[in-house]
Amino acid sequence: MEILAVRDLSFKYPMCSAAAIEDVSFTLEKGEFAVLCGGTGSGKSTLLRMIKRELTPLGERCGTVSFMGRDTETLDDRTAASAIGFVMQKPEQQIVTDKVWHELAFGLENLGISQEETARRTAEMASYFGIGEWFDSDVSQLSGGQKQLLNLASVLVMQPELLILDEPTAQLDPIAASDFIATLKRLNQDFSLTILMVEHRLEDVVPVCDRLMVLEDGHLTHSGRPEEVITSIRGRSEIMCGMPAAARIYCALEHSGASPLTVRGGRRYIEENYSNGQRSLPDAAYSHSSEPALEMKDVYFRYTRESEDVLSGLDLTVYSGEIFCLLGGNGSGKTTTLKAASELVRIYSGRIKVFGRKLKEYRNRTLYNECLAMLPQDVQTVFLKNTVREELQDAGADVNALPYDISHLLDKHPYDLSGGEQQLAALAKVLAAKPKLLLLDEPTKGLDAYSRSRMTEVLRRLKADGVTIVTVTHDVEFAAECADRCGLFFGGRVVSCGTPAEFFSGNSFYTTAASRMTRGYYDRAVTAEQAAELCRLNGRRCGE
Amino acid sequence: MIVIRSKELRSFIKVVVPFAAVPALVTAGALVFDHNKHIIISMGVAIMALLVFASGYERKNTGTRREVIAAIMTALCFAGRFIPLLKPVAALTIISGIYLGGETGFLVGAMSAVLSNIYFGQGPWTAFQMLAWGLIGLIAGYLSEPLKKSRILLIVYGAVSGIAYSFIMDIWTVLWYNRGFSIKLYLAALQTAIPYTLSYVLSNVLFLYLLGKPFGEKLQRIKVKYGV
Amino acid sequence: MRSFSEYDPVVIAVFFVTVLSVAMFCGHPIIAAITLFTGVIYNIVLNGRQHMKSHLFFLILFIVLAAANPLVSHNGVTVLFVMNHNPVTLEALLYGINSAAMIVGVLYWFRNFTRIMTSDKLLHIFGRLSPKLSLVLSMALRFVPLFKGQAEKVHDAQRAMGAYKDDNIVDDIRGNMRIFSIIVTWALENGIITADSMEARGYGTGRRTSFTRYRLRGEDIVFLAADLILFGAAIAAIVTDSVEFTFYPVVRGSISGIAGAAGTAAYGIMLLMPVIVEAEVRIRWKYLQSGI
Ligand SMILES: Nc1ncnc2c1ncn2[C@@H]1O[C@H](COP(=O)(O)OP(=O)(O)OP(=O)(O)O)[C@@H](O)[C@H]1O
Ligand SMILES: Nc1ncnc2c1ncn2[C@@H]1O[C@H](COP(=O)(O)OP(=O)(O)OP(=O)(O)O)[C@@H](O)[C@H]1O
Ligand SMILES: [Mg+2]
Ligand SMILES: [Mg+2]
Repeated sequence: MEILAVRDLSFKYPMCSAAAIEDVSFTLEKGEFAVLCGGTGSGKSTLLRMIKRELTPLGERCGTVSFMGRDTETLDDRTAASAIGFVMQKPEQQIVTDKVWHELAFGLENLGISQEETARRTAEMASYFGIGEWFDSDVSQLSGGQKQLLNLASVLVMQPELLILDEPTAQLDPIAASDFIATLKRLNQDFSLTILMVEHRLEDVVPVCDRLMVLEDGHLTHSGRPEEVITSIRGRSEIMCGMPAAARIYCALEHSGASPLTVRGGRRYIEENYSNGQRSLPDAAYSHSSEPALEMKDVYFRYTRESEDVLSGLDLTVYSGEIFCLLGGNGSGKTTTLKAASELVRIYSGRIKVFGRKLKEYRNRTLYNECLAMLPQDVQTVFLKNTVREELQDAGADVNALPYDISHLLDKHPYDLSGGEQQLAALAKVLAAKPKLLLLDEPTKGLDAYSRSRMTEVLRRLKADGVTIVTVTHDVEFAAECADRCGLFFGGRVVSCGTPAEFFSGNSFYTTAASRMTRGYYDRAVTAEQAAELCRLNGRRCGE
Repeated sequence: MIVIRSKELRSFIKVVVPFAAVPALVTAGALVFDHNKHIIISMGVAIMALLVFASGYERKNTGTRREVIAAIMTALCFAGRFIPLLKPVAALTIISGIYLGGETGFLVGAMSAVLSNIYFGQGPWTAFQMLAWGLIGLIAGYLSEPLKKSRILLIVYGAVSGIAYSFIMDIWTVLWYNRGFSIKLYLAALQTAIPYTLSYVLSNVLFLYLLGKPFGEKLQRIKVKYGV
Repeated sequence: MRSFSEYDPVVIAVFFVTVLSVAMFCGHPIIAAITLFTGVIYNIVLNGRQHMKSHLFFLILFIVLAAANPLVSHNGVTVLFVMNHNPVTLEALLYGINSAAMIVGVLYWFRNFTRIMTSDKLLHIFGRLSPKLSLVLSMALRFVPLFKGQAEKVHDAQRAMGAYKDDNIVDDIRGNMRIFSIIVTWALENGIITADSMEARGYGTGRRTSFTRYRLRGEDIVFLAADLILFGAAIAAIVTDSVEFTFYPVVRGSISGIAGAAGTAAYGIMLLMPVIVEAEVRIRWKYLQSGI
C-alpha cells in the first residue's frame, strides 16, 4: 500500500532567488525504510519539512504531498500530528518540557488521551527503549545520545505510521549511532513502521534500508534499491564518497555482479576476488617536530564541587604542525578538554602549556591573539550579525582567500543556513583569527561526505601552513583520513594514542569499516582507499 | 490556542476589554479591596489579556508560534526588571506591540507585570501595572505604522507612555489611600511622583533609542520567515 | 512516607500561598521573625550545607535593608544619635530590622518554593486552571535560565575566537551588547522551533489532558487540612487585630488575648510543618533500617 506520495513538489524560501527543491516526486510503500542523502544545502531538511505539515516553512510552494491517499493539507489536525512523526536535526531543539516522563507524555496529552492510557503507553515505550532508569530525570541532565533516544521515543509514543528523521545520528558517537540505527531497523521490522530518514553517515544505514534516494541541488536524481543506486552513481565520485566502504572498494576496482554493502559482504568480495600476497602498504613514516604545541599534564577538572571529575589525570601532548584527532563516547569529556586547553574553564590541578608557555603567562587575552582559536560544538554561538558577509567582515576574514567556496551564502542570515553550511561559515570565521593552534569541536557534523573530504583538504592545507590542529570528532572515517595521530578519550583521559594505522587496526569498535573488513587479511588498511590500493596491488585472482 | 471565529466578536473584544472591562475591574478591585482579593483581580486581568491576545488573529496555525514569542518577550521584560534604576519593560512592550500587533503587546505588558511581581512583590498594584503596561503595548500596536517609520515619533511615544504610566499608577495610589477618588489628592500624588515619572520617561526613551531598531529588525525577520 | 517535595503540587502550592499571604501582609515582628527563622531552617533542611554563599548574600541583604531605613527615615521619637544633622531614631532602626526580616524571610520562602516547585508541578496546577496560561507562564519561566546558559556559551565561543582583543572595558561592554542582541535572535528562532515541535506533536489540536503522576493521598489531605486550620487561626488573629504593631511615633504593639497567642502559635507551627514532615521521614527511615 502506498503510504506517501510526493508529486512535482517545488519550494522556494521567501527572498531567495533559487528554489530549495524542484520537481521532486517519489512514493513510499508501507513498511519501507528509505534513506535520503545529498550534499550540504541540497534541500533535504526542506523536503522533509514539506512532508510534515506543521513544520512546513513559509514560502512559495507547488506540487502535492499526499499521505495514505489524502493531501496532507486536508488531513485533520489529529491525524496529521500523530500519524506522521518527525525527529529533528538537533536533539535539544525538539524538547519541550523539562522532565523525561513529561516529554514522553506531551504528545498524548495534546491528543487528549486519558490518564490510564497515557500511563500505559509511556511505561511501555520507556521499557522498549530502556528509558526506565532516567524516567524521572531532568531533560537537561541527559547526554546527547539519551536526548536523541528520548526524542524518538516521545514521537513513537503517538504511534505514527510514518516516521521521518533528520540526521538523527549527527552528534552521536559511533557506537551510539549504530545502536540507534539498529533500533530503527527493529522498529521497522517489528511494527512495519515506514521510515524516511536523512543521513550523511551511510555506513550502517545503507545496508539495512530498502531504498536509497539522492538529492542534488534540489532535484531528486536517484531513487531505488541501494545496490541499483550505487551501480548508477559509480562514476560520480562526489556522491560515491559517502557510500559504505564495501561499495567504495567495489567501485574503485573492476567490478562484476552486485555491489557488496556490508562489512561481511565486502570481506567476502575481497577474499573471493583478490589474494593477499602483499599484506600491507608501506607505512607512511610518522615523525613529529620536537616542539609541543599543546601540553596537558595530569589535568583534573570538575564542573561543580559536588560533581564527579570530568577530566581526571589527563595527559596529552600535541606536537606543533600535526593534526590530532580525539575520539570518544558522548559525554566522555572531549569538549571539556578543548575548553580547558583554551582556558574557558579552570582546571583545579595539573598543568597546561601552549607553545611552551603556561596558560597563566598569557596575559590580556594574548592567548586568543593569533595564537589559539576554537570552533565550538554548537556553531550557532559563533554568529553575531545579520548576514554571513557582515560576520566575516567583522572578523576580518577575506572571503576570496577561503579554502572553500561559500560565496553563495554571503547574503543570507546565518540562522537561515542549513546545518552543514553553518558549520562551514563558522569555520571561516574562526580561521580569520589566524590561529597557530586550532581547536575544532566536531567540525564535520552535518556535513556530507564530499564536503567532509573538502574539509580534510582544508585541514591539510592549514597544516602545510604550519598550523597545529586538534579536532574532536565522532567520524572515524574523517579521523582515519586526515589525522597524523588519533587518541581515544575514556574515563577522563586519553587512554590510547597512535597513528591512524596503529590506532584503528587495534580497535574493534572505534574503528573504520575498511579496517574491520580487512582485518586478518590485510594489515593496517584503515581507509577504503588503502584497502582498494592493496587489492589492486595484489591483483585479481584468475580463474573466476 | 483558542480561535475566535466571529469577526464582530473579535473587534468587540479588542475595544471593549482593554478600554472598559479591564479598567472597570481594576478600579473596582482597588475600591472593594481587602487583603487577598488582589490576586483574584490580577488573575482576572490576566485572563482578559489572553482574550485580547486571542482576538488578534484569525488563522490558527501561527497560534503556538505567537504564544511562544509572547512568552519570550515576557521573559525578556522580566529579566530587564533586574536592571537597577532604568527599566526596559515598557520599551520592550512597545516594541512587541508595534511589530507583533497590539494584542500581543497587551499580553506581554500584562504578563510581565504578574510574572515579575512574583519576584518583586505582588500586591494590589499588580493589576494596575498590568493595565498600564498592557495599554501602552496595545496602543503602540494601533500606531504601528507611523512608529515603525519615524524614530523620533517612537521616542516621543515612549516619553508619553512613561508619563501615562505614572498617571495610571497614581490613580491606584489615590484609590488605595483614600478609598475613593479625589482630584486634589490625585494632583498631589502626581506631583510627588515626578522623580519616578522622570525615570520612567528616561528609561523608555533610552531603551527605545537603543533597542528599537535592532529589535524591530529581528522581529520583522521572524515575521517574514515564519509568518507569525 | 514522602518528603514534602513529593506531596501533591496543589498541596504544596496552597501551603506556600497561605504562608506568603500571612508573611507579606502582617507587619508584626514576631510573625516576621517566625517567617525568617523557619525559612532559613527549611532552606538548610532542603539544601544541607551547600549554598553557604547565598546565606551570606541574604545576611548582607538583611544588614543593608535594616540599616537603610534609619538613614532615610527620621520618624520616631527616641533619638539614638545625630548624623549629618539628621536624627537616627530607635523606632526607625527597629522598623528597618523588622521589614528586613520580613523581606529576607519571604525571599527565603520563595527560594524554598522554587526549589521544590519544579515546573512540571507548576504545569500540573495551572493545567487545571487554564492550560494556555500555564504554558505561556511556564515557558517564560523556563526561558530565563535557558537564555543565561546560551549567553555564557556565546561569550565563551567569542572569547575563544579572539573577538576581544585585550583587557579593555569598552571592548567588553560592546561585546556584551552584541551578545545580548544575538541572544534575542537566538531566543526567537529557537522559540519558534520549540513551538513547531509542539505543534508537530499535536499541541493545539483539541482538548488537552494534563497527564500527571500525582495522586492525592491520605497524607496530602491531612497536611492540607492542618495547613488550612492553622492558616484560619492566624488570619483570625490578624483580622481581629489581636496581633498588631506600630513603630511610629513610638514602638507599640501586642499580641492580645487567646486569639493572638493562638494565631501566632498556629502560624509558627504551620511554617514548621515541612520540616516536621522531613524529620518524620528521616526518623522513620532510621527506624525501618534498624529493624531490618
Ligand atoms: N529559512 C530559510 N530561509 C532562506 N533560505 C533557507 C532557509 N532554510 C534553508 N535555506 C536554504 O535552502 C537550502 C536548503 O537547505 P536545507 O536545510 O534543506 O539543506 P540540507 O540539505 O538539509 O543541508 P544539511 O545537510 O547541511 O542539513 C540551503 O541553501 C539553505 O541555505
Ligand atoms: N556546563 C556544564 N556543567 C556541568 N556539567 C557539564 C557541563 N558541560 C558538560 N558537563 C558534563 O561533563 C561531561 C563531559 O561533557 P563534554 O561536553 O565534555 O562531553 P563530550 O565528550 O564533548 O560529549 P559529546 O560527544 O556528546 O559532545 C558530561 O557528563 C556532561 O554532562
Ligand atoms: Mg538539514
Ligand atoms: Mg562535545
